Amino acid sequence: MGNILTFEHVNAGYGRVQILHDLSFSVEEGEVYGVIGPNGCGKTTMFNALIGLIIPSSGKITFNGHDITKVKPAQRCQMGIGRTYQVPRPFEGMSVFENVLVAAVHGANHSEHDARKVALDALKLTELYEKREIPAGELTLLDRKRLEIARALGTEPKLLLLDEVAAGLTEAEVQDVMKMVANLKAAGYSIIWIEHVIQTMVESTDHLMCMAQGHELLIGDPRPVMESKVVEEVYLGVEEEDEE
Amino acid sequence: MENKTLASVRKPIKVLDGKVMLIVCIIIVAFLYAANIFGIFSSNTMRYLMKIFLYITMGEMWNLLSGFTGMTSLGNQTFIGLAGFTVAVATSTYNLPIWLGILIGLAIGVVVAFLLSFVLFRMRGMYFAIATWVIAEAICTAFKSWPYVNMGGGMSIKAKPYPKTPEIYLMALTLFVVAMIVVYLLLRTKTGLGLTAMRDDADAASSVGVNIFKSKLLVYVIAAGFTAIAGAIFFINKGTIYPDSGFNIDWTVSMVFIVIVGGIGTVSGPVVGAIVYVLLDEFLAHFPGWSNIILGAIAILVILFLPDGIMGTLQKKLHFEIFSQKRFSEHKKDIGKKAQLQ
Repeated sequence: MGNILTFEHVNAGYGRVQILHDLSFSVEEGEVYGVIGPNGCGKTTMFNALIGLIIPSSGKITFNGHDITKVKPAQRCQMGIGRTYQVPRPFEGMSVFENVLVAAVHGANHSEHDARKVALDALKLTELYEKREIPAGELTLLDRKRLEIARALGTEPKLLLLDEVAAGLTEAEVQDVMKMVANLKAAGYSIIWIEHVIQTMVESTDHLMCMAQGHELLIGDPRPVMESKVVEEVYLGVEEEDEE
Repeated sequence: MENKTLASVRKPIKVLDGKVMLIVCIIIVAFLYAANIFGIFSSNTMRYLMKIFLYITMGEMWNLLSGFTGMTSLGNQTFIGLAGFTVAVATSTYNLPIWLGILIGLAIGVVVAFLLSFVLFRMRGMYFAIATWVIAEAICTAFKSWPYVNMGGGMSIKAKPYPKTPEIYLMALTLFVVAMIVVYLLLRTKTGLGLTAMRDDADAASSVGVNIFKSKLLVYVIAAGFTAIAGAIFFINKGTIYPDSGFNIDWTVSMVFIVIVGGIGTVSGPVVGAIVYVLLDEFLAHFPGWSNIILGAIAILVILFLPDGIMGTLQKKLHFEIFSQKRFSEHKKDIGKKAQLQ
């Protein structure tokens, strides 16, 4: 299978502060690509460069065969990059269904009539179908995270970006999330998943990248990456203090 | 699972915008027109109603900005003053017919809104609100030293023949009807769906593909246009305009009162709010000096005890919505009319 996304020697940052240093990696179509790394290693910056909130100073980002290095965020959304927020940001005054409908109408450019089906499918895939008429503001944390994903699915993405969806959830809820990700993968979505919860990274991903200081430290199969000495040094050492 | 029970406990919301509501609205509007044609209303009644129609229009527009899109403006008087002065200049300086004055006023309002948007849309929330106000005050000050509009001395609107109360009533009624239809239809479009999302979280809305700038621009221009015409009609009724009356922050204060009391974020709210406002305003005219204090006290009481406003509270308590912008996943049972609208 081809690559859905590649970063080639990307340098990026905020103003004069450079965060990403010569970052290169590629994500294959249909895989779950895990990203780990200690706080401040540039995961979020990579994410922002990917969705278009910051423009790299050099390097190239290719998505689905198109150079998207300088494409605007809204356009990237329409090209098929679906993002989720780390802290869920539902449209609280709207129902769960309407939340996803907005995405399907604006992100995927459907008429409202066609968008209904897309939205309902997304809700079924994220197990929110039963709760579709509830105001989004009344959802539990797990359901808000589901809604983040459902809303991203509404935009009909090819690549889905999950930003710490398992953070703050109980162990049982983490299992639910992993099951959902497996379903999404089975449905054909390519997924980039940034996460601190180690279990999810080892069990759910096809490839795992560990970042450190804005650079890819190690990329490979999840278990060897997790068990390698370098990763342990930069990541697990810090992770102890990180425990919430 | 617990949410399943939650869903079943929740009473379904009934949407009252099917055929019955449509017929009721048509009957009311037809009556308002017929009453004018057959001269049923006294000119005093017509003046009250005209005021109500104009305030409903202004309230609906402020609500569209603040309640549905999240752009809380304190400067809608900009468009009232501009349109009022345009009619005055057009009729008295250039001897143009009054309808042409209104149209030019509309055009100026729309163009100014368009130009302002490039500055204003860089700001959000409180900053946006204050910027709109500052612009209104700046224009007011500029008009006071601009000989073209007679500096601060005011201008009178001249037209031969000058429109009589029944004619101005008709203008106001028509404006109100068109404004209601435009607001209702706008909220039912794709853009309308995106507006509520923008109000709740503009960044998140943008990340699911809502074009924030375009949507804001559309809403701002529509609001400016209707507010401008309402202002023009108001000053045609009054006959004279001063910078201090045209660009007064009191306009926005009444719009806020109308929308908050009626129910922010509901289409029917400003209608109720405007009726309450005009009746109170007329009644309180007997107590000069006290009127603003009493209006303010009422607004505070409403905010404290009915934060959703009259219509918002009624709708929540009784589980219904009039002219709802809500979208439901099933569209056969209550909704009826909606499927056809799409």
